[in-house]
Amino acid sequence: MSDTLSTAPASAPLTKWRPTGLFFIAAPILLIAVFLFYPALRSIWGTIYVRQPDGSYAFSIASYLYFFSDSYSLTNLGRTFWTTIVTMVLLIAINLPIAIYLRFKGGRLAVFIQVLALFPMFVPGIVIVYALIRYLGPNGLLQTLLEVVGIGGFQSPYLTPWGPVIGMVWDAMPFTLLVLTAGMSGIATSAIEAAQDVGAGRLRILFSIILPQIKNSLLVVTSLNFLGLFGQAFMPFMLGPTSPEMMGPFMLRTFSTVRDPLQAATQATIVFALCSVAGLAYVRSIAKRRAAELVK
Amino acid sequence: MIGFIKRLDWPGYVLALFLVFFILLPIVTVFLWAFTEQWFYPSVLPTKWGLRYWFKVLERPDVWAAFFTSVQLSSIVTALSAVICLPAAYAFARMEFPGKQFFMMSFLMGNAFPRFALIISIAVLFLTLNLVGTYLGVVIIQLLNTILLMIWLPTAAFQSVSRNMEEAAMDVGASPLRVFWHITLPQALPAIGAALLMTFVWTFYETEGAWLVGAPRVQTMPLLMMSMINNQLVVQYGAVLSVALWVPSLVALLLARRVMGSDSFAKGLGA
Repeated sequence: MSDTLSTAPASAPLTKWRPTGLFFIAAPILLIAVFLFYPALRSIWGTIYVRQPDGSYAFSIASYLYFFSDSYSLTNLGRTFWTTIVTMVLLIAINLPIAIYLRFKGGRLAVFIQVLALFPMFVPGIVIVYALIRYLGPNGLLQTLLEVVGIGGFQSPYLTPWGPVIGMVWDAMPFTLLVLTAGMSGIATSAIEAAQDVGAGRLRILFSIILPQIKNSLLVVTSLNFLGLFGQAFMPFMLGPTSPEMMGPFMLRTFSTVRDPLQAATQATIVFALCSVAGLAYVRSIAKRRAAELVK
Repeated sequence: MIGFIKRLDWPGYVLALFLVFFILLPIVTVFLWAFTEQWFYPSVLPTKWGLRYWFKVLERPDVWAAFFTSVQLSSIVTALSAVICLPAAYAFARMEFPGKQFFMMSFLMGNAFPRFALIISIAVLFLTLNLVGTYLGVVIIQLLNTILLMIWLPTAAFQSVSRNMEEAAMDVGASPLRVFWHITLPQALPAIGAALLMTFVWTFYETEGAWLVGAPRVQTMPLLMMSMINNQLVVQYGAVLSVALWVPSLVALLLARRVMGSDSFAKGLGA
């Protein structure tokens, strides 16, 4: 995007400053205000200003007291943290080597690696889930293949806490890799060569040159992955155990099966609050970049 | 000999092998199951191949009903999204107006919320509006899902149209509308087409919103596949549906990506 921006002359805007633009953007702004920000604020407000048994409304934090004293809710919250952090660490551990490899190697093998690593982008979640159940499930293809080469004792991760981890790593691979590769493209080969010339080892190059350069990419990946993973409902529902469960399926069940919208909204608010740090980090990093681009 | 071993690209082979086992083989499994009539464990390949389950799936009325629901929903959502978002994309790319940065940021803010918690809070609102379990409810929730993409990609497309050409046309007396119609739009069209295509495909497979707001009354294709995976003993149904529906969308998305260039996604998200 920045390439195309820089080809436009910085001077001579085609249209002058005028409010017509506001008219053009009114519809989507209205839509997200009414159906995104309003419901979010409303459900947060609704968890503390609650309808009483006699029909009146009063301030109450009873639903939060319930959540934080209910051991099942707390176990689910803990499970959500565990799954999110394990998945995030695995995503970086898998994609950072791939991104570094793709940055410094060319050729057919690199293309093969890139195509495979980005492939999940084209696979809808429901197909991923189905594929992983058939592949990793009990008596699935992976178990069969392992037994052919003589490895027995395969324990299927399906319906264990590792099920959602594997599904979410699959799903978030392309995004993580794309952001890391984009960050990596700013590293000059000459800088690496210069470091090698003065005898820097591989780890030294990783920590002193590569990681500082992709700091912003790592921040974007970490914050967006945290937001995306923490609130996941679909993968944990399909691949994970039913008890304890992640916040996503827990909210879904509280809303649809238990039919307790107040408690579901309380759970959602707690998720909002815990994710707000990651959200702020993301918005701040992108605000800096947008501001720089919009000036052009 | 030592030189040969040194030249072997060990990290590359390790990464490739990992990706074959992690990414490629699960997909291969789906294709194998779709053309399987019998597959007894521990056989590595299906014991009996065939197309029998393709016919069985195509005979099911619930499959066709869900398919038409999904196509209809995706068409409506994509069309609405284009009507609402494309003018905004043009405004963000080419106009100056008060609060431009603030509004751009507020679109990105949608990304900064955990999605499913947001869907829950929308569903809580829909409960009071009697929109849960309705077609309209699903349209709204899926429409929200498309806005960011439908503003972001076309904004980039409009920005990349050469201003020199626009100005040259203005200089010879073309009206702004004429310039837009004959110069700006044709150049931005491939990327806009790609955005439309991607919006359609993503909406077709959107699961969480339809699941919470639509189910069980509005049955989309992914919801039908979910119930087939969870309840049906016939493994092949899920496999056949996956292959039948996903291959066309794969081709469409690959086309879209050709038009858009490789890293505009990542850049759009702030890399």
